[in-house]
Amino acid sequence: MISPFAANSLRISHVGLRGVVGSGLTASHVLDFAAAFGTFLEPGGAVVIGRDPRASGVMIREGLLAGLLACGQDVIDLGIAPTPVIQHSIRRRHAAGGVSIGASHNSAEWNALKFFGREGTYLSTAQAGELLDIYHLKKFAFVDWTRMGHATLETGAIERYLDDLAAHYDFPALRKFRVLVDCCNGTSSLILRRANQRFGTEFILINEKIEGVSFAHEPSTTRDAVALQLAPLMKPLGADAGFLFDVDSDRVALAAEDGTPVSEEMVLPLLADYLLPRAPAKLIIANISSTALLEDIASRHGGKVLRVPVGRQAAIDALSTYRPEQVALAGEGTGAVMMPQFRFVYDGIASMLAVLSMLHESGRTLSEVLDSYPKYSLLKGQIPLVTQRIPALLMDLRERYSDGRVSVLDGLRVDWPGRWFHVRVSQTEPIVRVICEQRGDPPRELFEALLEEVRSFA
Amino acid sequence: MPREHLLKIGVSGIRGVVGDFLTPGLACAFAQAFGTYVGAGRVVVGRDTRSSGEMLYHAVACGLLAAGCEVVDVGILPTPTIQIYVGATRARGGIAITASHNPPEYNALKLFNSEGLFFNSYERGELLDLYHQSEFRRATNEEIRRATSDYASASRLHIERVLRHVDAQRIRRRGFRVALDAVNGAGSVMTVGFLRDTMHCDLHAISVDPTKPFPRIAEPRPDTLGDLSELVRSCGAEVGFAQDPDGDRLAVADETGRVLDNDDVLALAVDAALRRLPGDVVVNLTTSSVIDEVAAAHGRRVYRTPVGEANVVEMMQAVKAVIGGEGSNGGIIFPAVHLCRDSYTGMAFLLERMAETGESMSALAARLPRFYRKLGKVAYEHGRLGTLMQALEESFPGVETDRSDGLKLILPGAWIHVRASNTEPLLRMAVEARSEGEVDDLYARVLRLFG
Repeated sequence: MISPFAANSLRISHVGLRGVVGSGLTASHVLDFAAAFGTFLEPGGAVVIGRDPRASGVMIREGLLAGLLACGQDVIDLGIAPTPVIQHSIRRRHAAGGVSIGASHNSAEWNALKFFGREGTYLSTAQAGELLDIYHLKKFAFVDWTRMGHATLETGAIERYLDDLAAHYDFPALRKFRVLVDCCNGTSSLILRRANQRFGTEFILINEKIEGVSFAHEPSTTRDAVALQLAPLMKPLGADAGFLFDVDSDRVALAAEDGTPVSEEMVLPLLADYLLPRAPAKLIIANISSTALLEDIASRHGGKVLRVPVGRQAAIDALSTYRPEQVALAGEGTGAVMMPQFRFVYDGIASMLAVLSMLHESGRTLSEVLDSYPKYSLLKGQIPLVTQRIPALLMDLRERYSDGRVSVLDGLRVDWPGRWFHVRVSQTEPIVRVICEQRGDPPRELFEALLEEVRSFA
Repeated sequence: MPREHLLKIGVSGIRGVVGDFLTPGLACAFAQAFGTYVGAGRVVVGRDTRSSGEMLYHAVACGLLAAGCEVVDVGILPTPTIQIYVGATRARGGIAITASHNPPEYNALKLFNSEGLFFNSYERGELLDLYHQSEFRRATNEEIRRATSDYASASRLHIERVLRHVDAQRIRRRGFRVALDAVNGAGSVMTVGFLRDTMHCDLHAISVDPTKPFPRIAEPRPDTLGDLSELVRSCGAEVGFAQDPDGDRLAVADETGRVLDNDDVLALAVDAALRRLPGDVVVNLTTSSVIDEVAAAHGRRVYRTPVGEANVVEMMQAVKAVIGGEGSNGGIIFPAVHLCRDSYTGMAFLLERMAETGESMSALAARLPRFYRKLGKVAYEHGRLGTLMQALEESFPGVETDRSDGLKLILPGAWIHVRASNTEPLLRMAVEARSEGEVDDLYARVLRLFG
């Protein structure tokens, strides 16, 4: 279903460009952005590209190749490939950078370009700003006929990525688990089918067929999406754990062995619980919209949580102010988590393997692990946005809830002991998001009051 | 001071120096306009060996896919081969990425309709308007189709078509020793296969590496084919062939290494065609009168058109001509194979004539009626064109004129054709007569007027 905003869906920002193909994102945007990236990259080393299975990816790939080759960049094309594999290949091939074509957790009519620098890292805000400036100026460094770039296809990228995973995780030990995976017709099936062949693991895949036009369901990594097909199959199939990936495999969500769909908020606390005792680093970077359980778990292991604004770029920028060995984990409450072992790239597959390793090493079931945590209840809502009234709304809320601890890092967050709310403007849709969390039962009263308040400004 | 024409967008498509002028964005937008014009269906894309071809292929594929077309990539192939494939596979249209005989820094898009023919002048205008309006069809995710490839069948198809019209057995039996210069162009692979494997020639080839740049000036003319002449002499070839980078133009050297005048090559092809099929001939205004004499010997008529392949093709369709072309540039168009310039038909015709008659290439050429030609160009100032043309006409009072492309003065046994170039601020002059002295005299008179 195309949202009413599809006609104005194009968004060009520090994280790349994104939109509904045809009405928002067009061939000419792709070409210009590709040429800007080809101009931006330092010479030397090829550019690795790959795409998720959306039908429009074929068109976008052509435009990307044209723009990069015209700037004299050689291109290594991985074809349909998961985003973490693209980032891994940039490192392995000592490439100058890379591009992932895919709209991740958005529905099929969307597409997007994500840009990576050397080592497969995300662009810093300063780098992304430079790229945007080149895009807007349209002064591209096209080369003459003697220096044109050339493209080659590479097919072994997933195999080399699995080599790397095998160096970090004990695949033979994970064979004992029966793991149900909802691939949502995306790229995770390419990795997991191969892992079964190579390591004898038992990943049972549903919605594993690569699809370009219609996915089995919305590819978002949320509890609601887990509840659709994955969770109900857990008990009938006797699975030990269930995982759902978005289309480009950088995010993951969970189902417990008893068939309970787990909140997407739990991926980060689970990984924190697993990694903090094992890593010398004690710092976790998370956005201010994700669960307070993280602080509880961090304090259990002598760790600390740094809260940053919502969005990948804020996490990247915060990361860049630390030495890599200081940070144990960074991520968001959406199932997108970065680990130092994997050079801080969002990697749903590596996150899944960390959860399974935790189950293996602890000897407990996923629901036993989750039940051992203090219970928090989170409520999320959204209200259409009237942009010019946002500052007044935030000021009003701030005054009304002045008895709590206030943060204006991103919108407004107010904390009380065991309870907090966060009101902010979405970066991807014209809506205001309201999130409210409380230890124990859901904070319904506060949540309804906030929604009412926000609505009065709409 | 001639201005450089680094980019030209017009009714014949888009052409320019790759880099800052012919950009991927322009090629993509033009392809998207084309895809919008021909509709959502299969569109064939092929290219010559220019280093920018790969990049432009991706730009063109992007534009076509964005317009909802399915792309069929046929890879590196001669332009006539691409055209034949478009027609035979009932595609919606085709695009050849090639700047033909232009230098290597240029590239261009040649556009074909569903029959693999150039659009007529009205269609070309419509397409250009669509491009300028920038209102392209933009396919959604559900409407975007795939990109496929077919690298094998087009060349087979083309050669099969040519073989329907020549006696290949007769050519094979002769085992001709043939020299070839394919300028490292799109014919590099296919022409070697055609001459060696299909026609069983003892082939001696140079410049047949499609991964290398053009080793000579790309246009195959007597003054650019020194290497071919040398090769013919050193290997003792009975004939030498040279192609341009996209394999549509043909130049021929005889067994002495002398490169034939391209008008004479066309005349030999016209003769060969009219021996096979009944019908008339179409050539451009600047093509030699040798064609008229050859056609007259078969009792056939010659139609003249403005310069440009598309003009010749349009007229050939209208009068159902059996053969046509443009003498000066080595284009031979034989519609029974396909309505396009085709060097392969040309090579097959000449080899068959040699096999049939048992005569050498130089002897066949010597039988043609003898005309003398002189070609040249001179810069002119904008605004002076009318004055110059009037002065020319007035200095030859009472002669027959043709103004369909510049000014052609038709004198008894001679003609003078002066036209402004479409691409440069130059006047192109051509003079032809039956004697060398008369040509020199007429040419000098024109030069005096313009100099």
